[in-house]
Parts: sequence; C-alpha cells; structure tokens
Amino acid sequence: MHNFKLSLILLTMFTLGGCTKERNIGFGVEEARVLEDKSRKTKQKNDAEFVSILYTNLYQTAISPNQLYKTQNVVYSIGDQDVANEMLLSNYFNTSGITIPTNIEMRNNLESFIVNTYKRFYLRYPSEGEKAFFGQYIKTNPNVTVEMVYTAFACSDEYQYY
Amino acid sequence: MNRKNFITKSGIALGGGILAPYILPSGRLFAKTGSLKADHVVLVMFAGGVRQQESVLGRYLEDSQGVSGAVGNIMPNLFEGNAPTKKIAYGTSVVGKPNGSEAIPKLLANSMERSGLLFPEMRAQSAGHYVGLNTLLTGNAGTNQGLKVRPAYPTIFEYLRKHAGYKATDTWFIGNGIGNSTPLLNSSNHKDYGLAYGGNMFAAPVTFSNAGKEILGNAKTYTRSDLEPMYFMKNFLDQSFALTKDQISSVSNTDEEKSQIKDFIKSVFSKQQAGQLPMPPVTDNGDAVNVMYAAEVLREFKPKMLAVNISSVDSCHSNFTGYLQSLHRADHITGWLWQYIQNNIPQMSGNTIFIVAPECGRNQTPNPILDQNDWVSYDHSDANALRVWGLMAGKGVPNLRVGGESQPVGRLTDIVPTIADVFGILDDVKAAGLIDPLAQSLYNRI
Repeated sequence: MHNFKLSLILLTMFTLGGCTKERNIGFGVEEARVLEDKSRKTKQKNDAEFVSILYTNLYQTAISPNQLYKTQNVVYSIGDQDVANEMLLSNYFNTSGITIPTNIEMRNNLESFIVNTYKRFYLRYPSEGEKAFFGQYIKTNPNVTVEMVYTAFACSDEYQYY
Repeated sequence: MNRKNFITKSGIALGGGILAPYILPSGRLFAKTGSLKADHVVLVMFAGGVRQQESVLGRYLEDSQGVSGAVGNIMPNLFEGNAPTKKIAYGTSVVGKPNGSEAIPKLLANSMERSGLLFPEMRAQSAGHYVGLNTLLTGNAGTNQGLKVRPAYPTIFEYLRKHAGYKATDTWFIGNGIGNSTPLLNSSNHKDYGLAYGGNMFAAPVTFSNAGKEILGNAKTYTRSDLEPMYFMKNFLDQSFALTKDQISSVSNTDEEKSQIKDFIKSVFSKQQAGQLPMPPVTDNGDAVNVMYAAEVLREFKPKMLAVNISSVDSCHSNFTGYLQSLHRADHITGWLWQYIQNNIPQMSGNTIFIVAPECGRNQTPNPILDQNDWVSYDHSDANALRVWGLMAGKGVPNLRVGGESQPVGRLTDIVPTIADVFGILDDVKAAGLIDPLAQSLYNRI
C-alpha cells in the first residue's frame, strides 16, 4: 500500500513536471499577397506557352498536345502575331465551352469584374488608375462586352510576358 | 498674344501640319521618287538549289546522267530553247504513257528571257539554302548567318519601309512552310531596322491548311464599331506596359491593316471552300500551292514588294527525276504568276518588275543515290553550287543577255540593290553600309 501511494505521488509529480508553459515564438514574417508585378515580367511567353495559357484561361481545362501543336504552327505561320492571336481568340469566342462572365454580371459588379480580369490575365491587381480607366470606359460605353475586354487583355503586350 | 506672335506661331503650326505627314521613319522629309523605275517588284526565290546545267544551259540529261543527245530546255516560260526530245520524264503523267512524259504546255507567248534581262552566269555567295535566301533578301553575303535566327542584316522589306516610307502591307514575304527558319525571313534583328520595319508574312501552306482553317476559319467578323473599343482598351494596356524597341516581337500593322489581313485570311478560306482560288493549270506540288496564295496576296494588297519562296527542286538530293519535274513545274508556276499579274491585277499590270533567281546552285559531281530511273542525284556543296542565274522582266527592263558561261557577271547580293534602285532608295541602302561591298544594282552591270 505504501509503495502504491509512493508510485502515485511520483507519477503525479512527473506528469505535472513534464508540462511547461507554451512559448509564443514569432519570426517577424508579415502576411503578403503574392501576385505578379508588371515591372518584373521580363520573359516573353513562347508560342506554345501563350496558346496553352490562353486556352486554359478561357476553357478552364488544359489543351490537348495535338491541338497545341497545330495551333502554335498556325500562329507561327503569320507574320503579324497580333493578327494571329486576335483571330485565334475570336475563333475561341465562337465556340461553346468557354468560361466567362456574362455582360450583365460585368455591369452589375464592375469593380469586381475589373479586379478579377486583371488577376485572371495578368496575375496582378490593377492600379487605381487602371481601375478608374476601365470603370469609366465600360460605364460610358454600353456596347462594350466581356468578349471585347477579354480580347483586349489577351492580345495586349503584358499578356505576352511573365 | 500679339498679332506678330500669332502670325509666327500659326505659320509654324501650319507648316508643320503640312510637312509632318511626309517625314519618313528614316527622318528624311520626302521619299526619293525621281528615279522610280516601277511601282511594284515581285521576287521569286527559285527554287531550292538549281543546277545551271539543267536550267539556263538547257542540257537536260546529257551533262547530269551522260545520256547522249538528251539536251533541251525544260523551262520554256523562263528561257529560250527547244524542249528535249529524248527520255522525257519531267512532265505530267498520263494513263498509258510513261511517267512524266507529258510536258506542261508553255503559258507565256514569249519567254521572260526573250522579253527581259538575263544574267546567265552569276555567282552565289553560299551553297546553302538559308544563307542563300538571306542573301537574296538582305544583299549581304551572310557568312555569319545562323539558322533559327532572324537575318543579321536588314532585309529589303525593312529598307523599303524605313527609307521609302512604305506601310507594312506594302511589303510581303510568302514562305513555303515553317521549317528551315523560313518564317524568320520577313525581318532582320538588326538594331537600326528590325521588326518595326519588317514585312508581313504568311507561311501560306500552313496558314491556309486544314489546321489553319480549323483554328482561324471560324473567327468572328467584327465590325468597325466592335473593333474600336477593343483596340482602344488594348492600346491603353500596351501604353501602360510600354515595351521597349528591342522587345517588339512582331511586325506592326495599323489597326486598319490588321483588319484587312484578317478579312483576307477569312476570304481565302471562303474561296477555298467554294473552289474559287485561281491556281496554275498544274498544281500538283507545294510550290504551286504557295504561288497560288502569293497571287491572292498580290490581288488583295497590290504590295510594292512581294517575295515568294519555292523549294521543291531540293528533292535533287535523292531523286533526280523528281528534281526535273519540280524544275519544270517551278518554271510553269513562275510563268503563271507573271501572267496572272498581267491579266488579273490591272493596278500592277505594266507597272511591275519581276525578278527570278535561285538562292544557290548544285554540284558538278553527283552523289551515289539512284532514283527510280537509275539516275544519280546532286547535293549542293562544291564550286558549281555557286553558279546561278538571274532574270528580270517587266516595266522598262531592257531585253539583253549580260555575260555568259565563261564570263560571269553579277552576284546574288545584287538583287537587293537592284530592288532598291527600282524604288529610288539605292543611295540610302548603300549609305547604311550593311550590304555586300561588291554588290551593285543589276542595272549598273549592263
């Protein structure tokens, strides 16, 4: 009995002695939004990268290797790459299966549309000036559609770089 | 503002307004027009390594295969001379007759030699295709030219755009595929010229292929009111990103030119569908298809300068019969293109100079590869491969034959200064100091 009591006391002491107060250690790391900065986009996408990224962006699924090969050859065969890309894009917009907001959704929440479009194509947030430009332009031009905005972004110089 | 100031400033503004549209990209006020020889030039880059013996010398099988008496001209639209009468294998095939035994009927009433200027013995500066093509378009010997990179020296397209002030759709290169660095030939990467002055380009057999139709043919036709907002927003985005000159990676057309090119591509697919594309009577190889699209570009854009590349005769590495057939067809389609311009493009008819020249020749001695007729084949690496010819026809071109087999006159690097001479910018091109120092306008070789 005496031994049992002694064992119980020792067990309690070890158990309590094994617990220490949790220390709160911080490393000075602050939260940051990790997004592209246009000034750091210095590498140009090659034809395959451009086509593949564009396709995935619009259809939300990867392009097949065969389709990618055919597309990049056709794009390469045209001297003015803007013309080639605009036609490619327009061809995509003429198909079913692309995932884009409706024009009503764009106009109902314009600021959100602008921010999301910058993130979708440029992987960055728009500056205040950029937000103001697109907000004003889309508001005052009722004929502007999502397709037009997406075409401008996809054919822009910045979208050619990463 | 007092009256004197007002008059002075108004005068300056008015003068600037009048003069500004005429300031060329080169900084000069006016393009030279005094010595303009024609409004258009078409250059046929002919056609993948051509031996003198079977082309301008008309020796058919006698020199190449040792078949005695088998001499004659198999290029009747370009050169004078009777056709061979023995062992005809260069034509089309008709049921019941030996393969290739039907020569393609001559298209032109008079050969280009008969109506134009022939340099029967010129010198190429390289025995290779890509350097040879570079030479034809840059006027530089291109000894340091690498593959899979743009020409190191400015092309004639860039000279014309920079010094004569032509727009992008005034200058075209029609390549016959996307292999062998061909799509890079519409512009150099030279720091003073480059893509900002490059010509437009189609690798036409690819652009207008089935894949091209699938990928481009269903593109929407946007109206002007659709395009304006798109370009307005794109221009805003581009100004914000502000590419530097050395980052430009594409030829630059104006918005109107882009629309015209897109409409053109769609119209070609429509004509294909309807079987309405004009084509040479014999269109049975890739060269003929490429020339057919070149004709369509000429009809639509009426460019100042168009260069079209054909290359099927390169089969000579392993198939001499195929080489002869391709050579005969290259003559046929070149004659057809010239005839098409005269008969179907009134704006260019009588106002165009046509230039034809191979990018390199072929060897004197054969390799051991035999074809279906047991004829030996020829590569391009010896001194004979530097022997080429040049032919000009059209507006104001004198009817002469300059030089001969024992008296070479002219270099392939002469083609660019000749075209520059036609457009009145020869001095500018020479002053740039980037062409072969021995090159001259062929007009000055006469």
